[in-house]
Amino acid sequence: MEFADLNISYSAIAPEIITSLTGVAIMLIDAFSKQGARRTNALVAIIGFGLTLAALAGLWTGTWTPFGGDYFSGMVVVDHMRLIFSFIIVIVGILAVLLAGQFLKDEELPAGEFFSLVMFASAGMLMMASAGDLVMVFLGLETTSIATYILAGYRKYDVRANESSLKYFLLGSFATAFLLYGIALVYGATGTTNIVGIQKAIASGAINYPPLLLIGAAMMLVGFGFKIASAPFHLWTPDVYEGAPTLVTAFMATGPKAAVFAAFLRVFAVGFSSPTTGVGETLQETWVSVLAVIAVLTMTIGNVVALTQKNIKRMLAYSSIAHAGYALVGFVTGDFGPVAFYLLAYAVMNIGAFAVIQMLARPGDRKTEISDYAGVGFETPLLSFSLAIFLLSLAGIPPTGGFIAKFFVFRSAWESTPGLRWLVIVAVINSIISIYYYLYPIIVMFFRPLPAGFSKPKVGAGVTAVLVLTLAGVFFLGLMPDRVLGALNQGRGAARVAIQEAFR
Amino acid sequence: MESQIISIITFLPLLGAAALLLHGIFWGSRGVEKARLDEQYRWITLFFTIATFAVSLATLGYFDQSQAGPQMVMRTPWITTLGVNYFVGIDGISIWLVILTTFIMPISVLASWRVTKRVREYMIFMLVLETGMLGVFVSLDMFLFYLFFEITLIPMYFLIGVWGGERRIYAAIKFFLYTVVGSLLMLVAIIALYFLNGATSFDIIEITANISSGRLTISHNVQLWLWLAFALAFCIKVPLWPLHTWLPDAHVEAPTAGSIILAGVLLKMGTYGLMRFNLPMFPEVSRDMAPVMMTLAVIGIIYGALVAMVQPDMKKLVAYSSVSHLGFVVLGIFAFTEQSLQGALYQMLNHGISTGALFYCVGVVYERRHTREIADYGGIATPMPGYSTVFLIVALSSLGLPLLNGFIGEFLILIGAFSSSVPYAKTFAVIGALGVILSAVYLLWMLQRVLFGEVQKEENAKLQDLDWREKAGLLPLVAMAIIMGVMPMLFLRATQPAVNAVKDAVETRIIRAAK
Repeated sequence: MEFADLNISYSAIAPEIITSLTGVAIMLIDAFSKQGARRTNALVAIIGFGLTLAALAGLWTGTWTPFGGDYFSGMVVVDHMRLIFSFIIVIVGILAVLLAGQFLKDEELPAGEFFSLVMFASAGMLMMASAGDLVMVFLGLETTSIATYILAGYRKYDVRANESSLKYFLLGSFATAFLLYGIALVYGATGTTNIVGIQKAIASGAINYPPLLLIGAAMMLVGFGFKIASAPFHLWTPDVYEGAPTLVTAFMATGPKAAVFAAFLRVFAVGFSSPTTGVGETLQETWVSVLAVIAVLTMTIGNVVALTQKNIKRMLAYSSIAHAGYALVGFVTGDFGPVAFYLLAYAVMNIGAFAVIQMLARPGDRKTEISDYAGVGFETPLLSFSLAIFLLSLAGIPPTGGFIAKFFVFRSAWESTPGLRWLVIVAVINSIISIYYYLYPIIVMFFRPLPAGFSKPKVGAGVTAVLVLTLAGVFFLGLMPDRVLGALNQGRGAARVAIQEAFR
Repeated sequence: MESQIISIITFLPLLGAAALLLHGIFWGSRGVEKARLDEQYRWITLFFTIATFAVSLATLGYFDQSQAGPQMVMRTPWITTLGVNYFVGIDGISIWLVILTTFIMPISVLASWRVTKRVREYMIFMLVLETGMLGVFVSLDMFLFYLFFEITLIPMYFLIGVWGGERRIYAAIKFFLYTVVGSLLMLVAIIALYFLNGATSFDIIEITANISSGRLTISHNVQLWLWLAFALAFCIKVPLWPLHTWLPDAHVEAPTAGSIILAGVLLKMGTYGLMRFNLPMFPEVSRDMAPVMMTLAVIGIIYGALVAMVQPDMKKLVAYSSVSHLGFVVLGIFAFTEQSLQGALYQMLNHGISTGALFYCVGVVYERRHTREIADYGGIATPMPGYSTVFLIVALSSLGLPLLNGFIGEFLILIGAFSSSVPYAKTFAVIGALGVILSAVYLLWMLQRVLFGEVQKEENAKLQDLDWREKAGLLPLVAMAIIMGVMPMLFLRATQPAVNAVKDAVETRIIRAAK
């Protein structure tokens, strides 16, 4: 291969470069400042994310690199889908950094490592979103995972956090192994790791040994299924989410999930969508129906088990599983639009909810039982009304972002193919179930009496900013979703077309 | 102005809620004493609800009584990618319901004057609720309609849950879950209808027109499912027997104003929906299902009345009387004649006035004695003559005494049902008429036990009669009951063209189907 064929373009990976460099810079600042420079580091992280956003905007407008191309010999792609998921990832990163200030201060934890780990995790996520090659997917996934394993155990003297971190590490590695093995088999079958290359190989029928491809795809499905916490690969989620610091839980449930969805979509909706030939058709039909079943299982198990939870973090962990299920309903339509919108809305409302919980739970996450919140409703109106709004949004009650997200997913699934309409009905029944447990904390907060000895939590500037941003986001997505939906529509590109035709 | 007036009416209460929020933020922390602040909150809310009522009366000036279609419409693209328009307007079916809503709200605020717990939040929820209810009646886009339909749930849920009685948590959650189950299935039906209509818009008027002109034909099977989804949502709201069980709980536990609004307006969202969606959009299925619906309605009439008769609790009695009265409305809707539909619409307004007033009356004595047991009262006409007169008139209007509003509605419904071509309609009308007698029994019996006779209990001997605030709340209701009983055409003329359009939509399609 000629050097020129690599098609090197540093601006195409500018977001990843900026995030990684910011992570390094934070480590250096931390090393050379006398006492952990929390504020400086937070500021640097925010600036880093700001520059990343600028780089993404530059890519979006096409000022630096032509749109729709691929770079580094197909490793990196620049298209709408990548950029939209990258935006979600950066938004999650910014919210996490804003939340982290108070967490680190209250618990007297070192700040430098935390912020740099968030930056590195985000860099990994951005890589997953931009990956045009299975190798790149794997690299991004590992970068993200290792950083989040450490973040989950960031309270290193807390037994629950240790358990959470170790569980996450062991099961995460297990899932990664599945994914890697799947990649190897797919490579064996198609002779390439490039996602578009795989699609072409399948379309041309040049498969070395068809069963190999199917087994490989199945293993990748398992790997991705683990990472997005879909049933039956969800068992790690509640323990990990409960044990990790609240802020890290919020981060894990939104950012990495969105990134994995991006890679998952690209591999399956692009790579494995070649309806023309025998093995391609089998593959596509199989993964679509398997995913439909997984979506049903994920929604139902998530929602039904959430009904019985007494701990709010565990409840939201199961709710997170259920939401992955709704996003999967969008996934099987083959359009990334509903999935991306869903994950964006989910990120905003979920981080908002966890921000309130971080405050109400107090340092060390001491109060995470739902009954701990009895009567706080009118005592801390900002926190409790915000939490109520986020919960109603998670339940999909208008006029919130959660409603539009569900509506968009249901609408797309109904539109895509008559064969999948039953999924919409199942999803609606699930939404009804979910309303019960989302209402429960509201009941406890507002309708129950306040026990004696309640002291108001002090809400710092960072958390206030997060609440303002997420509340604005929930209502923006709920009342004026046109801008975001328009951007998603613009990007209904290659990813969609192939699969849509397959259904018709 | 003409095209904006509907939006102004709808969002004026929301503006009031914002005003309360800001007022609280600016003045709440300045050491002003709580009682004074609360008083200000009440007056601000009263001001905004009266202003909304005043503006809503202005629609009468713009309204053309000879037209069937929507008027004062405003239609602008809202979420273009999803095909959603902000499309509002009123026609003969909705105009009086809008005015009923804006009329009931100031009265509910007056009825809440003695609420002292978290007054600001209470009033904010009331105002948000008003915007939601008005939005339901003025929306001409299915998406918008659904949005407002759901939004009304949240403030009502809080009103019951925070300011309600002892079993408020149970009642609030039951209310929420029941309604949500129906409305989410309706959402699926809305999405399906949107795609059936070519995925262009959620425009109710356009879809209705396409269906009645035959441009959009839906297979009978699909129609049935869509009809069921819509009907379930609305029948839970009405509530039609056997979906009514949330209602007594919600009514009994809700604060007085909550009950007034619930009975006065929220239940009408159900019957309104049946008239707006089920009848004109799925005429054949409506026709097929009419005997079933009429059976359920008649069961509701009789069952509600019988259960009301044995209630020891006044509020529960009035709540069950609602089940009975709304049964009449459903009976009228599914008889498909001009009289019955007009009567159903009229009865919705009557029920709003009369039952709202009944709940108000129960609330008045509850505030004084903190009990709703009929047995705890007796002979209170002696200490409270003014109150007793009002209660008597209101009860008589509810039971359908001629020259009061209830009579007109029930009479029209029964006449209409009698001349209806729906199978067994005459039988239903006869059985339904029994409900009128039963309602006289339970209401008069309650009045006798509560108002008349000797004062049995010492506490009742020195009860205060109505104060200026209660008079200000109750007298308009009484006045309306009399006006609507004496001059029905004042109201029915405006509704006639739209009601006939609904009737024609059902009839023409059935004739076409028969050919």
